[in-house]
Amino acid sequence: MSPNELFDLLILALLIVCALAIARTKDLAAAVILFSVYSFALCLLWVHRGAPDVAMTEAAVGAGVTAVLFFYTLTRTGRREK
Amino acid sequence: MTLLSFFNYWVVIILMMVGFYCVIARGNMVKKIMGLNLFQTSVFILFVSAGKIVGGSTPILRDGVEVYSNPLPHVIVLTAIVVGVAITAVGLALAVRIQEAYGTIEDDHLRDDFDEEDD
Amino acid sequence: MSDNGILRIIARFLIPLILLVGLYIQFHGEYSPGGGFQAGVVFAVGWILYVLIWGLERGLKVISLKAMYVLSAAGVLLYAGTGLLGVLLGGKYLEFYPLLESPHAAQQAGIIVVEFGVGLTVATVAMLIFTLFARRRSEWIAALEQDDPEQRP
Repeated sequence: MSPNELFDLLILALLIVCALAIARTKDLAAAVILFSVYSFALCLLWVHRGAPDVAMTEAAVGAGVTAVLFFYTLTRTGRREK
Repeated sequence: MTLLSFFNYWVVIILMMVGFYCVIARGNMVKKIMGLNLFQTSVFILFVSAGKIVGGSTPILRDGVEVYSNPLPHVIVLTAIVVGVAITAVGLALAVRIQEAYGTIEDDHLRDDFDEEDD
Repeated sequence: MSDNGILRIIARFLIPLILLVGLYIQFHGEYSPGGGFQAGVVFAVGWILYVLIWGLERGLKVISLKAMYVLSAAGVLLYAGTGLLGVLLGGKYLEFYPLLESPHAAQQAGIIVVEFGVGLTVATVAMLIFTLFARRRSEWIAALEQDDPEQRP
């Protein structure tokens, strides 16, 4: 297995772990942080797949603006999921 | 090489199902919107992977580059990301308004409220 | 959050860098990855970081709500106007060759102007979405402090 493939597998594994953690956690603030981590892992994957412009957008939008909007919603609706 | 590409599609399916689970099985609306985002990104991975050429470089014009990945899926995904942000913003705004009107964004509690209104 | 020294100093260091990266992506967009949308969002993220640390009131002194509405419309107008200018000078919509003497320079100038319009609109709309979320929260907190259920939005 070449280092390229290994890198690919590692990022994909990180994506699955983050997604499962988002689905499982009851703490919504933790879920938002995990969502940011997921976005950055996805950003690495885009660079590796040869899509730097998509990576740039993902880093700015997925990890930046979306996470901030989620946090502002959580200040209003409460951070615990019942 | 085929193993790698198959693994990639399995990851797409797993991520898609995790997102789908969040949308249908979780009662909290913020969590539902997160699930929607997961679902969406899994589709992006499918699209961008379709344009990847093994050994190809990024689609930037420069000397000495003959093989590069197909930029068309990238542009489609870029548009979809923009739409995704808009959907997320609208969904979160709706969640805030539901919280203001009913005091909760949990599906089950909302259903109880509706049932009481009916009786 | 401006009472936290680490946060304040890191932000003071980071915000100009983020804005600079935004401008770099904007003006190198025609021959390197990036373009109007990415630049606009990165630029808006710089402003959002400023608001997160120093509060919405100081953020709105940098760019007011009205300025956001006007600039977001002006970006679209710039895009459409550049396209229509090509039509007026005898080309097709968004064809830049009639704009300048040399076709190469015209193509480059046209794409830079169009991308600038896109960047302007995206940056101000991202700021606007964030502002509307943040303002609703500050109104709610103000109503809580007055402890007046009637005023609660």
